[in-house]
Amino acid sequence: MGDGVIHIRNDEHQALRELLPWFVTGQLDAVEQASLDVHVAGCAECQAEVRFQRRLEAEVARLPVDVEEGWSRMRLRLEADQPALEAARPARASARSAWLGWGIAATMALAAGAVALSSMRLPGAPAAGYHALGAAPVSEAGNVVVIFRPDTTEAQMRASLRAVGAQLVGGPTAADAYVLRVAPAGRTQALTTLRARSDIVLAQPVDSGAAP
Amino acid sequence: MLRRGGDIGERRSAVVQPLALDETRLIARIVGRDLRAFEQLYRIYHPRLSRFLINILRRPHLVEEALNDTLMVVWRRPEAFNGTSKVSTWIFAIAYRTALKARSRHDEPVEDPQAGFRASPDATPEQDLGRRQLQEILATAMGQLSPEHRAVVDLTYFHEAGYREIAEILDCPVGTVKTRMHHARRHLKGMVADQIGPDWW
Repeated sequence: MGDGVIHIRNDEHQALRELLPWFVTGQLDAVEQASLDVHVAGCAECQAEVRFQRRLEAEVARLPVDVEEGWSRMRLRLEADQPALEAARPARASARSAWLGWGIAATMALAAGAVALSSMRLPGAPAAGYHALGAAPVSEAGNVVVIFRPDTTEAQMRASLRAVGAQLVGGPTAADAYVLRVAPAGRTQALTTLRARSDIVLAQPVDSGAAP
Repeated sequence: MLRRGGDIGERRSAVVQPLALDETRLIARIVGRDLRAFEQLYRIYHPRLSRFLINILRRPHLVEEALNDTLMVVWRRPEAFNGTSKVSTWIFAIAYRTALKARSRHDEPVEDPQAGFRASPDATPEQDLGRRQLQEILATAMGQLSPEHRAVVDLTYFHEAGYREIAEILDCPVGTVKTRMHHARRHLKGMVADQIGPDWW
């Protein structure tokens, strides 16, 4: 009889032990959570397992994912539809190191989500909707990417943005670039102004608009 | 609950995850062919799906296509979301099926078993040799798991999905999810213990 009790306890232990990954991440329902709270408090084996799983969770979640190649293909796809995008890049940008290029590609793909969408076939979408995505003045999508010099102060960055009436949309990216939105009609002038500022390394258009 | 978003490799990013209700509203607008709503959904799910898909596919060049294929299903058939699950569960289930199909279409061997995962570039040898070593071991160990096992590990630890939700996403019994997690955990633990020591945690 005593043997049977041990088996039952062992079965319960095994069943609860299987739930430990979700006990660690807090994804059990209240009943399961309460059962495990009680069990773990009195089970040294499960306590050790919880310690292990907490470390495992932290390390697995911390593993960075390398999607640069995927992003670069996205960029190529955008350029296939938007040749003006690449042609607009100034010579000083092309001389930069490869890592900067990858970062910009990722940033552009991020900022120009509207372009990404417009490059997809959207059966059933009204023609007006297709055009509205990239051109709507109320869109929050960025249309300029800038990289500031590393020693630029927050006040200088603010001054640059105000000089062209830009809003910060995103960033910093992996390449320390920022995505801005400026009035579409004034973007050419804004790019000229930004490029002339000493605290800005690079300023680029990032949607399907015309070259500056 | 699928609640973890953010940029690739960044856990709990500054990107604020909208409430599930907001996502449901986006789907309702997409049913009405609202392209702006689709753009919003695309931006929300791009980083989350990128991480999920690279984990399953292990081939970076397939991720973009699978990701866009997944979200094209959402655009073309938003009415297929019936509201019985969360939007995230529905979209991740589509992504999982899309990824498995992509794998079967491109059945070439993976050249680099660590493809998709790298040791953190932030952890220099001077700063944290132990962490780099641990992450490299874990990246290799993850690469040795099957896509189904990797999906369970990633959904559990990164996307913080419960086992019932994972079962729904993978379209399998909850017992299968628990078993896969058990085997994956044992494999990861064994690999780390072999190379670092039994008490690394």
